[in-house]
Formats: sequence, structure tokens, C-alpha cells
Amino acid sequence: MKRLSLIMAIMAAPALCLAETPNILIPGIVDGHILPRFQALSDSTRALSETAQTDCDPTSEGLRAAYGTAFDAWVSASHLRFGPSETDDRAFALAFWPDSRGATPKALSILLSQQDPIVSSVEDYAQVSIAARGFYALEFLLYDDALKVAGEPSYHCQLVQTISADIAATSQNILDDWQTTYATTTQNPSPDGLYRTNEEVLQEMFKSLSAGLQFTSESRLGRPLGTFDRPRPARAEVRRSGRSSEHVKLSLQSLQDLAAFLANDNDDLSVKLASGFNLTLSQLSDLDDPTFASVSEPQTRIKVEIIQQSIEAIRTLVRDELGPTLGVAAGFNALDGD
Amino acid sequence: MKNALLSSAALLVVFASPALAVDKMEVLDTYADIAAAKYEDSLTTAQLLQVAVNGLIADPSAQALQAAKDAWLAARVPYQQTEVYRFGNAIVDDWEGKVNAWPLDEGLIDYVDASYGGPSDENEFAALNVVANPTFTLSGTEIDATTITPALLENTLQEADGVEANVATGYHAIEFLLWGQDLNGHGTGAGNRPWTDYATGDACTNDNCDRRAAYLIAATDLLVSDLEWMSSQWRDDGAAHDALTKNVDAGLAAILTGMGSLSYGEVAGERMRLGVMLNDPEEEHSCFADNTHNDHYYDGLGIQNIYLGEYIRVDGTLVSGPSLSDLVSETDAAMDAEMQGKLSTTMMSLGRIKTAAEAGFAYDQMLERGNDAGEALIMGGVNGFIDQTRSIERVVTTLGLDQIAFEGSDSLDDPEAVFQ
Repeated sequence: MKRLSLIMAIMAAPALCLAETPNILIPGIVDGHILPRFQALSDSTRALSETAQTDCDPTSEGLRAAYGTAFDAWVSASHLRFGPSETDDRAFALAFWPDSRGATPKALSILLSQQDPIVSSVEDYAQVSIAARGFYALEFLLYDDALKVAGEPSYHCQLVQTISADIAATSQNILDDWQTTYATTTQNPSPDGLYRTNEEVLQEMFKSLSAGLQFTSESRLGRPLGTFDRPRPARAEVRRSGRSSEHVKLSLQSLQDLAAFLANDNDDLSVKLASGFNLTLSQLSDLDDPTFASVSEPQTRIKVEIIQQSIEAIRTLVRDELGPTLGVAAGFNALDGD
Repeated sequence: MKNALLSSAALLVVFASPALAVDKMEVLDTYADIAAAKYEDSLTTAQLLQVAVNGLIADPSAQALQAAKDAWLAARVPYQQTEVYRFGNAIVDDWEGKVNAWPLDEGLIDYVDASYGGPSDENEFAALNVVANPTFTLSGTEIDATTITPALLENTLQEADGVEANVATGYHAIEFLLWGQDLNGHGTGAGNRPWTDYATGDACTNDNCDRRAAYLIAATDLLVSDLEWMSSQWRDDGAAHDALTKNVDAGLAAILTGMGSLSYGEVAGERMRLGVMLNDPEEEHSCFADNTHNDHYYDGLGIQNIYLGEYIRVDGTLVSGPSLSDLVSETDAAMDAEMQGKLSTTMMSLGRIKTAAEAGFAYDQMLERGNDAGEALIMGGVNGFIDQTRSIERVVTTLGLDQIAFEGSDSLDDPEAVFQ
């Protein structure tokens, strides 16, 4: 009898490998966190593109508002760097930053001065350097003192329109892939699939959370902070449009949402995560400094450092408690290099 | 009958698996032995470079410059294979910037073409030109650079003003001093510095040949001493060896961290994909020498030979021993086959880039906008690296190392956190 049960257990094992039993967390995250964000990105970038077609004046309030709404949607989805956003380098095409060598203003200046005819086709424009594509390139065209008036006005207008349309097309492609295949892929892991187990899917989502926190801490705050002796306010993300602090806020809110899904019914951990995020968001709100210009003054700089430390505390909590709770490891992410 | 067969086969698996023959400590020993061999090879080839550089300065000629370039290219072969040690071992990562920092604003060191531009928002000293300026002000301090020494390079110029692109030391600074800027854009051809940049008297071109020579000698001497230091760390009594073997599981995790972080974030992301997406010929790891195809190839080979526990030294001898592959194979043979397969696929893709480049299709050309064949070649390598990283993550799980934080910054900056 004992032997029989052993045999049965062994025979049952391969059957279990064929299809994973559905995981309760994954559909919740796909439907409640991921799909709404890419839907919002697709909708708002289409609106941006439509606005740009009728109004390409860099100082126009309508265009700037449409740009801001679309960029907000991207920041809220920007931590989801896997699958459809990585296909054809879409996330890179939407958002090339940090740009430590000044490639974006350089690439835009060349296009504007040479009147490169590639801007006449949105499809062809996808071949252009990512430095001249996406939200960060558009920021230079709408807000940089030199680049917003550079070049021949009708060419500048067409460049704004083409970049906007390229952003909309890229965003639509991400949404299409999620809706047609990837939502299913993440909910049906199989031994010969992209994801073999539910754990691998959860690890992907966990990595989005940890890499998102890392990016906000090290790049969005760390770049302007520089060092005490050499603060670098000019390196703040999107300082020209005055959106630097807003990006930190939006990213934290989005990461808080994902963290809450992942912590699920672990009440103790959920409370700790919520209080960590809430504390950080209130510190950010108290700072009241849209572009982190205050990093240069010792008495205000400390406040930015404290916000960064609060995010680091969340990272530690995520690594040491959420990871083991989910049973997944940190894994590798794109920020691992130097 | 079928059932009986199944059960006996299954029982065999059940009862055979607990007896592990591969000793984890021996796997770490092989990894450390290969590190010692790779860094020693890097040192001896750098010493040959030093001989060639001294020969160039003592008796400048086109042949002597070519000999120094050849020695530099040879020295890169073992060094690039050590990069797999970097992200898993804090001692290597903390030191690496001295020898292999990239990208660099080369105008810090010597003259550049007018198209290079001047100081930028990011880097006030992008066009400092130390070779031409014996004294200058750096972040408010008056610097006396009348004598160019290893100490000046290392302590004052390297990362001057806290800017990483101010690379004053290492392989790429030397590469610039040997080749000069590559002004061919997306065309074929590397940098074309004339040998007379090192000539004496009236034959000297581009001025300050004596200071340029002093810079080249100082940078090469520093490279040799830095490599001497690192190879000593990997001897049996060295600090790198000690840190690795303190805890067996943490040591295994360090091996996998190095493999995964180099594959994904660094080479696939920072060095390969970004270059092709920016269409920028300066986004080449060895942009002066046009040796980027080899940089990627030997990075990939280093990852593969660490997993297999087999390294061919520059004298042709084999260093080998119990490997990570042996350990994985014993736990899950299919996983080992998958990992080996992925590593081979990557090497095939990197081999395609290398052979195309050596046959005349320069890496610069591959990066050009609209060059579909070049993009496909490079993306083949990128996809190989990304795909093998997924399998490296699975190996981590297979070996039960899941809860060891293996992202570079976490495990390296906070080693205690690993076992909390």
C-alpha cells in the first residue's frame, strides 16, 4: 500500500507540471494594475497626437496639457518593463532618459538644422535614434529655450506632430500586445512557455516593483542630488517642464498600487508597505519643490535626501519581506550594469 | 508492465538524487582558479603592452606604434573574459573603473577634432586637454600637471569633478592615446593618430609630444600595477578568494550574479542595445580601435567559460575543474542542458558579429540608421544575452539560492543583508 501511494504520487507529478493551477494574484494584477495603465497610455497619447495635428505651437496651453496628461500616463506605467514594452524597444522609444551625454538635444538640433525629410513619415521615423523620439525629446521641443524656437517653423511643427504620432503608435502597439496575447501568456504558464510557472510570472511583477523603486531613488532623486559638495540640479529629470517632483509622486503612487496587489492578504506587510509609501509621499508634498532646485542648499537638500532614504527603506522592505512572502528572488533587471 | 517500468525508473530517480557528488566548495575553487589565471593573463599581456609602449617612446616610428596597438588588442582578449567577475565580487566592482571605465570624454586627455564640441552641461572638463596644459584649475583648485605621473592620473584626473566620463586611466584612455579619435562616422576605419604624435623635435605633430608620451607611459604603468594588485587578490590567500569562500551558497550566488548582471544590464543593455537604438558610432565600447565586436565576444565567452569551468589561457593551457554546470546537471540535467544551450546560442550570435566585423562590416556601420542587417546582427547578440539571463535566474532557483539578493547593488553594498 505504501509502495502504491508512492507510485501514484510519482505518476501524479508529471501531470502537475503540464499546467499550473491558476494563481489568484496574477489576474488581479493584470486586470487591475497593468491593463488600465496601458489603456490610459494609449488613450492619452492618441489625444496628444490629435491635438498636435491641429495645434503644434510649443507654447500652446492645449498642446502642453495634452502632453502632460500623456506623460503622466507613461510615468504611471513606466515600471512595467517586460513583454510588450520591451518588444521592438518600445519603452526605450517612448522614454530615453537619463541622457548623460546630451544625445537628445544633439539629435534634435541635427534634425532641425538639416531638415531631415524622415519626419514626413511616422513609420519611417521609427528608425530614428531613440534620443530624438518619445516624451523626453518632445519636452525639449516644447520647453527648452533654444530648441522650442529652433529651425524652420513648419519643420519644427512637423517634428512635434511626428514625434507625437510615433508616441501614440508605440503606445497602441503595447496595448494591443497585452490585450491580444500577453495577458493570456502571464496567466497560463507552461513548461514550454515563456513563463514556466506562476512563480516566474510573479517574479517578473516583483522585479517591476523593485526596479521601479530603484529607478526613482537612484535616477529621479539621485541624479539631481549628486554629492553634497557637487549637487547637480541641472540633471533633474524633466526640469524644463517643471515636472521632476511630479514624476516621483506618480511613480510612487503607481508602485504603491502594485505593492498592495503583491502583498495581497498579508495584512502586516500591507500595513508596513502602505505606511512606507504614505510617509514618502507626504515628505515629497511637504518639500514643495517642483524641480528639486533645492538640492543645492544644505538646509533643503537634507529633505530630498530624507525622501530618498524613505524610498530605500521601502526597497529593503520589499526585498527582505515581500520577496520571501511571494517565494521569489530579486532576479536581474536592466539597472544592474553601471 | 508499463507501470512497473515507470515505478522502477521513478524510484531510481527518487533514491539517486540525494547523493551529491559535486562539492560546492570545489566549484568555488575552480571559479577562483580561473579568476587568478585570467587576471594573470591580463597582467602578462599588459606587461607586453608596456614593453611596446616604452619601445614606441624610446624610438618612435609607424612600426612601433603598430606594435603597441597590436599589444593592446591582445591584452583585451583575457581582460574582457574577466568582466564576468565584476558584478558578483565587490572587490572587483570597486576597482574596475580604474582599468575599464567607459564611455569617456577624451577631450579631457588630449586634442580632439572641432566637431567634438567643448565643455558641456554634464561635464565642464570635457575638453580640458591635459596634454596641452601643464597647469589648470579643477573645481576651484589650481593643479600643477607639469609632470604627468600615475598619481596625477589616478588621484586628480580620474573622475575629475565627480563626472564619470572624465576617464583618465585604463584601457580606453590608452586606446585613445594609441589610435586617436575615430572620425570616420559610420564608415569603416578606426582612429588614425599619426605616429609622429610621439615624435621628437620638429617631427612632432599636434604639439606636446613629450607630454603625450609621458601620459601614455603613466597610464600604461598604472594599468600594469592595477592588474598586479587584482591578480594577487585571487591567490589562495587573497582577499577576493577569501570573500568568495566565506559562505558557500553566497559564493555560488556571486558567480550567478556576475553572469546575469553582465549579460543583461551591462552588455545587452548599456553597451549593445543602447548603441543600436541611438545609432551613435561613439556608443561603441572600443570606439577608437574599432574593437567592439571583440569586446562583446570575449564578455560572452567569459560568462560561458565560468559556467563550464574551463578557461584556455593565453599560453594555450587549460584551467578546469568541477563547475557550476556539473552542480546544476546533478540537480536537474535538463536545466543544465538548457543553460549550456543558451550560452552556446549567444556565442554563435556574438561570433556572427565578430566574423562580419573582421570581414570588413565595421561595428560603426552596423549602428547606422536604417542598416537592417547590422541591427539584426547586434540584436541577435542582445536577445541571446537576455534569453540566457532568464535561464540564469532559473539556475538560481534550481540551486535553492532564491532568497539570496542577487541584484548587484543589494548584495554588494550590503553583504549582511543577504542572510537576513
